[in-house]
Amino acid sequence: MNICSLIVHTKPTQGPVVSERLQTFQGVEVHGGLEEDKLIVTVEDEGESMSPVSDTMNALRDVEGVVNTILIYHYGGEESMEEMNREIN
Amino acid sequence: MKLTRRDFIKSNAVAAAASVAGVTLPVSQSLAADADDGIRWDKAACRYCGTGCSVLMGVKDGKVVASQGDPDAPVNKGLNCIKGYFLPKILYGEDRLTKPLLRKTNGKYDKNGKFEEVSWEEAFQTMADKWVAARKAKGPKGVGMFGSGQWTVWEGYAAQKLLKAGFRSNSLEPNARHCMASAVGAFMRAFGIDEPMGCYDDLEHADVFVLWGANMAEMHPILWSRLTDTRLTKPGCEVHVLSTFEHRCYELADNGMVFEPQTDLAILNYIANYIIQNKAYNKEFIDKHVNFTKTPTDIGYGLRANDPREKAAKNRNKGKLTKISFEEYAKSVEPYTLEYTSKLSKVPKDNLLRLAKAYADPNKKVASYWTMGFNQHTRGVWVNGLCYNVHLLMGKIAEPGNSPFSLTGQPSACGTAREVGTFTHRLPADLVTKKDAHCKFAEKTWKLPAGTIPRANGKTDGADQTDISGKPMGKTLIHAVAMHRALNDGKMNTFWVMCNNNMQAAANMNDESYPGWRNPNNFITVSDPYPTVSAQAADLILPTAMWIEKEGAYGNAERRTQFWREQVAAPGESKSDVWQVMEFSKYVKVEDVWPADLIAKKPEYAGKTLYDVLYANGTVDKFPTKQVTDSRGNKYDNHESAHFGFYVQKGLFEEYRLFNSAKGIPKKGHEMADFDTYHKVRGLRWPVIDGKETLWRFREGYDPHVAKGEGVKFYGKPDGKANIITAPYEPAAEPPDKEYDLWLCTGRVLEHWHSGSMTRRVPELYRAVPDAVVYMHPKDAKKRRLRNGALAKLTTRRGEIVCKVDTKGRNKCPEGLIFVPWFDAGRLVNKLTLDQTDPLSKETDYKKCGVKVTRA
Repeated sequence: MNICSLIVHTKPTQGPVVSERLQTFQGVEVHGGLEEDKLIVTVEDEGESMSPVSDTMNALRDVEGVVNTILIYHYGGEESMEEMNREIN
Repeated sequence: MKLTRRDFIKSNAVAAAASVAGVTLPVSQSLAADADDGIRWDKAACRYCGTGCSVLMGVKDGKVVASQGDPDAPVNKGLNCIKGYFLPKILYGEDRLTKPLLRKTNGKYDKNGKFEEVSWEEAFQTMADKWVAARKAKGPKGVGMFGSGQWTVWEGYAAQKLLKAGFRSNSLEPNARHCMASAVGAFMRAFGIDEPMGCYDDLEHADVFVLWGANMAEMHPILWSRLTDTRLTKPGCEVHVLSTFEHRCYELADNGMVFEPQTDLAILNYIANYIIQNKAYNKEFIDKHVNFTKTPTDIGYGLRANDPREKAAKNRNKGKLTKISFEEYAKSVEPYTLEYTSKLSKVPKDNLLRLAKAYADPNKKVASYWTMGFNQHTRGVWVNGLCYNVHLLMGKIAEPGNSPFSLTGQPSACGTAREVGTFTHRLPADLVTKKDAHCKFAEKTWKLPAGTIPRANGKTDGADQTDISGKPMGKTLIHAVAMHRALNDGKMNTFWVMCNNNMQAAANMNDESYPGWRNPNNFITVSDPYPTVSAQAADLILPTAMWIEKEGAYGNAERRTQFWREQVAAPGESKSDVWQVMEFSKYVKVEDVWPADLIAKKPEYAGKTLYDVLYANGTVDKFPTKQVTDSRGNKYDNHESAHFGFYVQKGLFEEYRLFNSAKGIPKKGHEMADFDTYHKVRGLRWPVIDGKETLWRFREGYDPHVAKGEGVKFYGKPDGKANIITAPYEPAAEPPDKEYDLWLCTGRVLEHWHSGSMTRRVPELYRAVPDAVVYMHPKDAKKRRLRNGALAKLTTRRGEIVCKVDTKGRNKCPEGLIFVPWFDAGRLVNKLTLDQTDPLSKETDYKKCGVKVTRA
């Protein structure tokens, strides 16, 4: 499975509206940066049922109001879903 | 609060992004960020392009599981690009090679046999027999090695010694010949010292950016992010983009221009003419710091000598400069009027004028960037030089924001190929084999008898150098494209390809590369982690440790040298390039390759192996093996040191430093810090003097080599002055005609790096861009009864391939030109290309030949 974080630069003042558009994608979450027009976004996939993060990331680039997307972090381990979803604390 | 492993990784990912963006998040979002996630993080320079981003690689249980942009890196400031995004996966392709493979029939080597697993001993013994025989029978050009701008610094250095000193052969070339040679040629001609004077800090300092044949948005995305940021935040900032087709950079362009291939020569001369006609030039600067010169014209196209185009050339391969006056220079660019240039280039006059005005405005700082559009050009050295002309006329050079900047395609084209000098004509630190004194300096440093290294002309102190055959050495230089021709002609019989995929990468595969490699007299070795097109065309495949499976160093385009530690072990029996080069040298004795009179000068070398002479020489093996640790106390392996019994990387690097940092070196300006320093820092830009790096060269206050009161000094040249070199527009070698009626341009895409041998093995990237397509104008498609998505047959005078038509994608071609990427091993576009080169730099032009497109 893959977990990625990105910074999505939006057109001025469009942070909030672009944030809503992004969250319609499966596996996408926006964590902040709406006021700054620099959205902190995670994209994840798991198994066959979801489209790979690469496709999602490409699609985000074409969302209205998006100026640029930059990848920051990528986790690509091969753990099973059970392992990933097990509580660790 | 319950936390799963997934939450935990996600919160780390979010915290990293927020910190880079400078965004503050609600507390709950960053809860887990400080906890230990069981991942060991350490820095590495990215494996791909020449930008030289630093990435943090996360290792767990001996495997790379995560990566992130390095927030402490001045180059990328925590950012990462889509290729960097799947870095952890390039090591783990399903078809990693783990054992040496030799073509055999009935237990014996056979050129037409099937690949069988063999031991490293059998592999190297077979290879050594072939190499020694070829070296004896065919002279210094009988053997050849084709290395890489992806070699680490010490791998290139070890190979440099093996070929030039050990085998006494200058048949060593890097794939950077296909990539950077024109840039190098122009640097040497204009400034007498290689590599850019500026640095990436110019991306924040410039007011105007001009892209010449560089698709930074796709090929250098991190630099593009920095440029974009400046464009969007700096009042008055503008971006000019020139290419032969529209690409992603045009989305940000204030002045986007599509020009007819080859007419960049005319456009640059027009700008110079505009500056002169309007008396906008910086008279004080050119009076003090510039010489005016001209270069011979009508120099051919680097084709085989019997080609009619070569026979017709008046000054084939000539490049000697002649001094001229400013007035003569002004006259030489006078024909390039706005009218003429617009007509020739097909760029509207308004756009050209706007571009010229930007350069000519004394109050605007201009940064010019280029990559393969300039370099892969049959007039590549000229066109690089014409861009310097414009900057020099204005004095817009070597200071923050004013920066002609040649970008690099490979991670260490600068650090290894250029600085270590793994070209046929070069030695470390800009020394050259055509200078007897430079060769003597190298021989002294390497503790070799005088006359060991082959001179370009085969003469030392005016007398012939003797070859192992007893005959005079003769002329010894042979460049990359000529190597494939020599293999084809049977003049070169052994060839070792390391850290690149030249069967896929070299032009004119059908007529030259493939018949050369499969010539029954030739023995081809390919070292690679994966069974690439090259590996499959070889006779011996050596499984290779890649990137962070070894301790390494790269040098990027802004002169920054960066180190990393071995992060994980390589699979199976695969070994690093430096291990392979050094271990192989144990199989060859001095007597196998040196004549008796040379050995007689150093009798203590009699009976020794090349390993003894080159690497166990008291300098390279000086530093004992030690446990590698980082500042946090994490421990790292070093398989090379464990095998050879000394700190291999440190010994090679410190000996290399005798060329660039010791007292009494022939060429100053390349000084580097000591080995241990680089392991602690995020790279340093040379020259490094007293531990301090240099951001802008040639200018007082920035460059320690320029003394107080000198202002600007181009100290690569004896008189401290740079050369403005006039050169005209000349047509391409194979423009479209009636039958082959379109231009074919080849290049890269964002998702795949070069020949795709790594990125095509990452499922996500493969899925994103699986196959090469042919980008073409909808009207050109329609004329040929082709629709978007239809299969087209592309035919040139040399071959044909079939691929899908794309009229709507990211690249928008003008009528008359098609673009095809070269990453796809299933559609080898180099079956189509012409093996034309710049006659001066010998770099291939992959951007211009005639092609016919029909329905498949």
